[in-house]
Amino acid sequence: MDEEKTMIGRGRDAIDMIVDKDSFVEGKIGEFELDPEYGPGSVVGTAKLEGQEVTVIANDAQAFNERFPVVFGGVIGMEEAYKMANAVYDTIAADKDKPLSEKRAIVLIVDTPGNGPGKLEEIAGMNKATGSYQLALAEARKTGHPIIAMVIGRAISGAFLCHGLQADQILALSKDWGVMIHVMPLTSISRITKMDIERLEELSKTNPVFAAGSDFFYKLGGVQEIVPEPENMREYIIKHIAEVKKLKAEGKFELLGPWGRGILGEERGGRTHRIPAIKKLDEEFAAVSDKYINA
Amino acid sequence: MKSWNELENSSFFDANARERALGMVDKGTFTEFLGPHDRFTSPHLPVLGTAVEFDDGTVCGVGLIGKHPVFVVSMEGKFIGGAIGEVNGAKMVETIHLARKVAKEIQEKHPDDYAERRPLVAISFETGGVRLHEANAGLLAHAEVMDAIQDARHIIPVVAVVGSKVGCFGGMGFVAAATDVIIMSQEGRIGLTGPEVIEQEMGKDEFDASDKALVYRTTGGKQKYIVGDCNYLVEDKIGDFHNALADVVTIPMDEIEKMRRIGSQKLVKEQQELVQLVADLQPGDSMDLWKHFGNEDPAALPNMTTADFLKVVKRRVRP
Repeated sequence: MDEEKTMIGRGRDAIDMIVDKDSFVEGKIGEFELDPEYGPGSVVGTAKLEGQEVTVIANDAQAFNERFPVVFGGVIGMEEAYKMANAVYDTIAADKDKPLSEKRAIVLIVDTPGNGPGKLEEIAGMNKATGSYQLALAEARKTGHPIIAMVIGRAISGAFLCHGLQADQILALSKDWGVMIHVMPLTSISRITKMDIERLEELSKTNPVFAAGSDFFYKLGGVQEIVPEPENMREYIIKHIAEVKKLKAEGKFELLGPWGRGILGEERGGRTHRIPAIKKLDEEFAAVSDKYINA
Repeated sequence: MKSWNELENSSFFDANARERALGMVDKGTFTEFLGPHDRFTSPHLPVLGTAVEFDDGTVCGVGLIGKHPVFVVSMEGKFIGGAIGEVNGAKMVETIHLARKVAKEIQEKHPDDYAERRPLVAISFETGGVRLHEANAGLLAHAEVMDAIQDARHIIPVVAVVGSKVGCFGGMGFVAAATDVIIMSQEGRIGLTGPEVIEQEMGKDEFDASDKALVYRTTGGKQKYIVGDCNYLVEDKIGDFHNALADVVTIPMDEIEKMRRIGSQKLVKEQQELVQLVADLQPGDSMDLWKHFGNEDPAALPNMTTADFLKVVKRRVRP
């Protein structure tokens, strides 16, 4: 039997497969230096892609954070998330005087099972750590940096929210590579919602809104394009950076990021109620707006 | 339904989403969007044999505080734990976008007294985050909310209002952290991982989810106030939350920006200091941290009334 095909746990290998040969420098973005020992579950740095500088942010599922023992196997802890946020802010700062067309791309390599779940994490506020990384990415995206997320393994729930879902476009390896994109496995959904597991399994074959996998996220607009094999990652990322750059140059920011994925989700028939809800809400406000605008 | 006057004196904790929405703004000013009469329900719940709610569990609308339009999102914890799916997620996202667009319009129409008319977004969180029945759509909606909050930055204040039973957890814990201003009562809770999951991960000896006092010390309003994660700690009355919002509408945007805890590199560095402190101190309980911030008798703080607590508490000093 063939060995199971997977890129899970191989975040660092994926960097080398994607960027120009031997071009990745860990811990350095522009003139800023980031301590690689801090937040070891995440890897940040600068590489070249077809000779152009890009910021790379990846998970390192082999690393263990001895200061925060819940961080291993790709978990994003507080140090990891703040390190990732710093990498994004450093990227913005490094290119702050450059025109839109020259803002460097940010490539997110995604293989994470979750955020740090622990008492210390709750006391200090894990929610702030990953929230700040999301805001940093949103700011970079709106500033003009093309951001591409490449899901190589696990993209689970809150960890995917912070490391992936604020990108301009999201790519994912095909399901043949064991990619997992979901909020919770069906067994947990069954336990929490008290719904029959057999019924959930049957429904999950056709219903994209709660089942796991890159194909379902594709239908919802959550994944822009499926990448067939790891050796295709580089060409696909290069292609999508060019596509995002072009859209930004044309001012079409609304076709990118979370809002753009909403539009894609309707086009692909995965999220049919989102846009009608938005339109109806706008209409209802328009009917009473005078009272509030000219109060 | 209680009258507005009755609502102002009612417990925020016990109030449902619509009561909170009505009572957080001035008397008789609230208009609901996609309310129960529209019957705009989740298409995903019937497939799983789950009952729908005609407002999909979230009340959205607009009211006034003075001349300030206040765009309200109010979550109902009694409906699937206040969780976010495709429809109520879209309602939440568009309500925030509308507030931002209306700000531009008012700025053009009323440039002279814009300060008295600047809109505000108030989000009353009562939620565990993503609705598992439509988890993927709910997750994507969360990302849109964060995006909408970043769009609103420096234009209008986005305010988190937290004092309801379910608290504010999961992905919505990120969203609350990402707002400009946080108003809580001591009954409110904000976090990422709920107490049961922490117990499951760490064991009952390390964290006993049935110990309510411990749960509140870890993620409750007083802890958040001490650490600097909430800006206002108010009594559990809808009117007190209304009054706090009436204060926020008057604060200039550059001052609002200073009330944030995350959202810039400077703030990231500030939070990293707190993370380092926690790594060094290894608090077994939030009270260890309270003591570190200068509270000599931390064990006395949880049982104090909000008024007494505010008189004596020592908070983390921000650099």
